[in-house]
Amino acid sequence: MKHVAPHRWADLWAGRIEGAERTAMEAHAKDCPQCAQTRARVTRASDSFATIKNQQAPDLAWDSVRAKVHWTVSTERRAKLPAAASRGGWLAAGVVAAAAVATMFVDRPAPTVAKVIEPIAITPKPSERDAVTPLTGLINRTTGGLMIDGLRPADPFRSRLRAGDVIATGDGRVDVQFGDRSAFALGPHSRLELVRFDSQVIELVVEGTLDVEVAPRTAGQRFTVRAGLREIEVRGTQFRVIHASNQTAVACRHGLVAVRDAGGLREREVGAARRLVVPADRPVLTEAVAVLSIDEVTDLAEATPLTMPVWDTGTLASSAPLDIQLPGNERRAVRLDGVEIGEAPLRVRVMPGRHTVEAIDPHGRYRRAGWVDVVAGAKQPARLDLHPEPARTPANTGILARRAQLETGIDRGKLAACTRAAAKQGLVGGAYVQIEISVDAQGNVPFLNVLETDLPRKLADCISGVLRDVRFVAGPTATWREQIDL
Amino acid sequence: MLVRVKRDTGSVAALGPADEADLIERCKKLDRTAHEELYHQYRRQVAGNLYRVIGDRTDLEDLVQEVFVIAFRGLERFRGDARLSTWLYRICVNVALGRIRTRKRRPNAISVVDLDAAPADPSLVERPETPDRALERRRDQERVYAALEQLAPKKRIVLYLHEIEGLDLKEIAYLVDSNPVTVRTRLFYARREFYNLIAGQDA
Repeated sequence: MKHVAPHRWADLWAGRIEGAERTAMEAHAKDCPQCAQTRARVTRASDSFATIKNQQAPDLAWDSVRAKVHWTVSTERRAKLPAAASRGGWLAAGVVAAAAVATMFVDRPAPTVAKVIEPIAITPKPSERDAVTPLTGLINRTTGGLMIDGLRPADPFRSRLRAGDVIATGDGRVDVQFGDRSAFALGPHSRLELVRFDSQVIELVVEGTLDVEVAPRTAGQRFTVRAGLREIEVRGTQFRVIHASNQTAVACRHGLVAVRDAGGLREREVGAARRLVVPADRPVLTEAVAVLSIDEVTDLAEATPLTMPVWDTGTLASSAPLDIQLPGNERRAVRLDGVEIGEAPLRVRVMPGRHTVEAIDPHGRYRRAGWVDVVAGAKQPARLDLHPEPARTPANTGILARRAQLETGIDRGKLAACTRAAAKQGLVGGAYVQIEISVDAQGNVPFLNVLETDLPRKLADCISGVLRDVRFVAGPTATWREQIDL
Repeated sequence: MLVRVKRDTGSVAALGPADEADLIERCKKLDRTAHEELYHQYRRQVAGNLYRVIGDRTDLEDLVQEVFVIAFRGLERFRGDARLSTWLYRICVNVALGRIRTRKRRPNAISVVDLDAAPADPSLVERPETPDRALERRRDQERVYAALEQLAPKKRIVLYLHEIEGLDLKEIAYLVDSNPVTVRTRLFYARREFYNLIAGQDA
């Protein structure tokens, strides 16, 4: 008896061989050490199949995976929705309508430029700990109308926000940075007053929507947000406050905030990924803290105030605004140097140099929209106009022509000769050879590679040889992939 | 006609057909809770499928994420011809196939097997394994995955589904989106190649 093929030992193990053949194989294994060894190896491999089949997946960071899935799916869904409908969820209910103020915007002369920009996040030296340094806020991004102290600034990016200033937004939002990784963003139709704004105490009064991200503070520094009758004590890092006439909502993405009634001593703490909604006519302590849904967390993440990567006086002095505009009333999400910065049209503060802008296409993919050079300290904002999505290029007619030539040029007789042996075993039906082929203008074939096939190599080589014999006439250059089904 | 693949879902509690239909309907209406429920219900099954096909946990989280993203994108088109678990298994197979192809192009980027890192199904372990037996089992699995690594991706998938998962040709054809004849051909060559590799391995 000849040696037994290894896969036949697997068939024997699986019980697919019975009777005389089984007896003969077992007898052969006794006399043939080579087959006995093969049988042992195949049997061990087959035995391990059951173990593999029952193997359980290791524990993964399920919450993290879930968050990423929902992030991806909801981002795609948002991209498909019209701009006005893209921001929904529970937060929308709390936004105060103050559109009327947008009509009152008038020009306001730029205030004096402050020379020192002291971020709250920098820990004061021991000798300076008691010194109170006024803070200055810089506008990093604007969409829509904006008023500062009741006037519309000619160039908001030149404005320096200090204690006592009042900011109001129209249908857009404004992002203000006041320290390294410390910034706030005022949502649409909202009003914010900087009651106190120094290195020791920050006290803001908000009506509408306010998103805050603040770097860890040193002992003694206080940061409070007043929203109607509520007071929110900030203990770190990213949160949102929505104050409307009927309720106040506080949602925290990272860190911890405490909410109390004005003048009250007892407070309710709102931790990471939690929210608290307090109706206007009820005390804080009667309301329970609830967990944020993935959608709400996503919404908070998207609303993170925009911060500059570097926050020091010298760097900020050289920064300049960049306008990203779109024709008509279209709105498209854009990325600046790979970072999502919201929906254009918008104006954003950038560092000098060359910046790449990508805009989202109708399929939700970011495509390069162009680049723009920003000059340090430029008086006029740099501007990039996004163009409508270009029409798709028509199918490559060269490939179509060459593909037709390949189809007609294959010698079917030779092909049949290659596959005759396999066809007799009934193994050719459904088999294929996938090739990559290039044809130049003279009709030469610079390369023809077999990429994938489920046929044995010898047979695939034979088929490849038949394909190489195809003669092409002079014509278009083309490189393409082709699947030859047998 | 779609076939049903007989699989243990490995989920917290298998859903009945009515519950499953209701869950799918709610997902189609973009109900967040339904999405969460679906994820919670099938995450272990999906991870297990991917883990067994691939043979190591490198990028397993990314692959699970990819499967669910594809599933949530495609739920609107899900007609209910197959069970939800089967449909997810099909996505797993395609994602795994993509991963194996990528790995073939970048063979040095991964380690082949770390199946020993995960515990076997506790219900199947009758008594604690001796260290020798555990080592032997691990080596056997390594040999199997080492041989699988050398097969073409399509052959590897059909061999895995047939020999390890025990699926028949129709079931495999549905999962790999092919026809049973093609699967049979592929399986024939895959088995021959695989067992030749096993036979030729050093002990």
